[in-house]
Amino acid sequence: MNPSAIEHVTPATGPPEIVENVYLPKVAVLDRVVSEINEVKTFYWHFEDSVEQQAFKRFRPGQFAQVSLFGVGEFPTSLPPSPTEDATFFTVRQVGSCTAALHQLQPGAKFAVRGPYGNGFPMEEYRGKNLVFVAGGIGLIPLRSAIIYALAHRSDYERIQIFHGAKTPNELMYVPNLHEWERTPGVECHLTVDRPGNDRSGEGWTGNVGVVGSLFKKPDVKVAVENTMAFVCGPPIMFRFVIKDLLEMGFQERNIVSTLERYMKCGVGKCGHCCIGVAYVCVDGPVFTYEQIKRLGEDI
Amino acid sequence: MKARVLPRNDVLKIVDLLRQQSYEVIAPFRERGRDTFLEPVTDQNRDRIQLHLPNPYYPPKRYVFPPIERLLKVERSNGDLQIVPTYDFQKRAIFGIRSCDVAGIYHLDRFYLGRELPDIYYQNHRKNLFLVNMACTDPDLDIGEECFCMCTDTGPAARDHFDLQLMDLGDEFMAVAGTPAGEALFADPIFRKASPEHVARRRAILEEVRKRFKPNTTSWFSAAIQAVSRGEIPEETWDQIGNRCLECGGCTYVCPACTCFTVTDHSVEDNGVERLRIWDSCALSGFTRMAGGFNPRRAIHDRRNRRFFRKLAHYFIQRELSMACVGCGRCAAVCHGDIGMPSVVEMIRHATTRSKEA
Repeated sequence: MNPSAIEHVTPATGPPEIVENVYLPKVAVLDRVVSEINEVKTFYWHFEDSVEQQAFKRFRPGQFAQVSLFGVGEFPTSLPPSPTEDATFFTVRQVGSCTAALHQLQPGAKFAVRGPYGNGFPMEEYRGKNLVFVAGGIGLIPLRSAIIYALAHRSDYERIQIFHGAKTPNELMYVPNLHEWERTPGVECHLTVDRPGNDRSGEGWTGNVGVVGSLFKKPDVKVAVENTMAFVCGPPIMFRFVIKDLLEMGFQERNIVSTLERYMKCGVGKCGHCCIGVAYVCVDGPVFTYEQIKRLGEDI
Repeated sequence: MKARVLPRNDVLKIVDLLRQQSYEVIAPFRERGRDTFLEPVTDQNRDRIQLHLPNPYYPPKRYVFPPIERLLKVERSNGDLQIVPTYDFQKRAIFGIRSCDVAGIYHLDRFYLGRELPDIYYQNHRKNLFLVNMACTDPDLDIGEECFCMCTDTGPAARDHFDLQLMDLGDEFMAVAGTPAGEALFADPIFRKASPEHVARRRAILEEVRKRFKPNTTSWFSAAIQAVSRGEIPEETWDQIGNRCLECGGCTYVCPACTCFTVTDHSVEDNGVERLRIWDSCALSGFTRMAGGFNPRRAIHDRRNRRFFRKLAHYFIQRELSMACVGCGRCAAVCHGDIGMPSVVEMIRHATTRSKEA
């Protein structure tokens, strides 16, 4: 691009700001990187400015943030931590140029973050209900926040069931969390893989084999249907089949929630890229009930 | 309504007054034929300003929403990041902005500033902008084949959202103030009080001008809004519209009410980065393509559908409290596939009346 093509820009010497600049990201420092599965890493970070850190920590499960890698660009990403945890981190698969740039960063490197954005899961509204979480592959990233949040407010909710499926045992997400949830009393955590292979410990996979929906039909599993919110997140094909299973079990469309992903530039309802039907995924979502998703009328 | 009159020969003195108040004044000019454009006024070109001319295709929205605008400047040194937002506080006046384009800027106001998370870059341009609206009164020069402001209720004379409105009464111009800033100009001796006779002439001229618009498509606009909002458009009509689209994006770039943009980083000297926002178009295939290649909006008719849905669906009109189509007719003029807004409204009319008869 030709710099002389930039029009009408003068340095910031004018009157003081009246409104907050929603496009201005704040500097963040990378603390450490943990490899989750192939091409997926978790990046622990904090804002350089502790005031920003405090402000950011007011996010809700299901919200997202915009991450800037200057010179490459900016991308939206889910917030897998719960606001009840101390650490702030992203879990990101390397798919395009921005995520590739993030994957190359070393601890201590600086990048920038703005947010949190979007509506998030209305966890307060779900008090007194059973919660069923169904996550396919990296679909567990956005659901992790809601799961940890629900466990931190355990007495607010009735049964908590977690169903997580991956292609192979090596691709199960957040393995330390999965082990913890399997051991937590009052939490039913069920895992499955499409293809058995060697798991991380080198021992053969002894768990369920099949798509995540196959867990619902196991004799020792009884999915709570009445007074239940189902959280579904995963690849499009998994999403379609799980929705079909849930509806067959008797779930109401309005009691199934998911978070949508779209190409986004601004995250604040202005750039137009994430608009589906009458909704901006960034400000009206990313959390929608299945009833709403159906009305939007676009591929998931 | 504060109304004044001024002699025809003094109209350009309004430009001089604004320039004295350190406004950069933008005004319409004409080269040969249909070649009309908006440009900053200088001492050299001041006398060539046109009072009546076909509305330039390149809309004045660029003075509040530039096609390329720097949002941030980032300095990188020793691993540290300095992020500095860059703002433009230039005082600008658009002299001779048409009523449709005034409505276009009002729509942008509603979109960028009317909701939560207002856009500070837009606000900085907007609060330093002064609008001198010229009502369209010349049926040959001002009103084009494609104009349909009568259908969108935005012209030929804007009712609000300008600072000053001018109307050609022949040997005099009538000036109406829309804001205190516009009224302040009336302190200059070129303006004198308007008589009831002037107001009557204004009304008679407008009545005459309204008759010059072609009656077709006009009354169908609200019917099209209803059909789009209720999802009554047959899929084959969207297909027909899609089949005619060449994916050039022209309609969105000339539209005074289109708001979409993309954001890109641009490297500058000393390892610096500039973050720019650039006009984008929902007609282009990459508009919704995500990293990794998945594109939820693949088919071309889906993308066309999107533009007309955004402009005509009642939901968006309600959300912004203004319609994203202002009847300027630019899309109709530039579209090679003849799917500008009036044609689309016409296609919707055919399709919905046919399906009702069937």
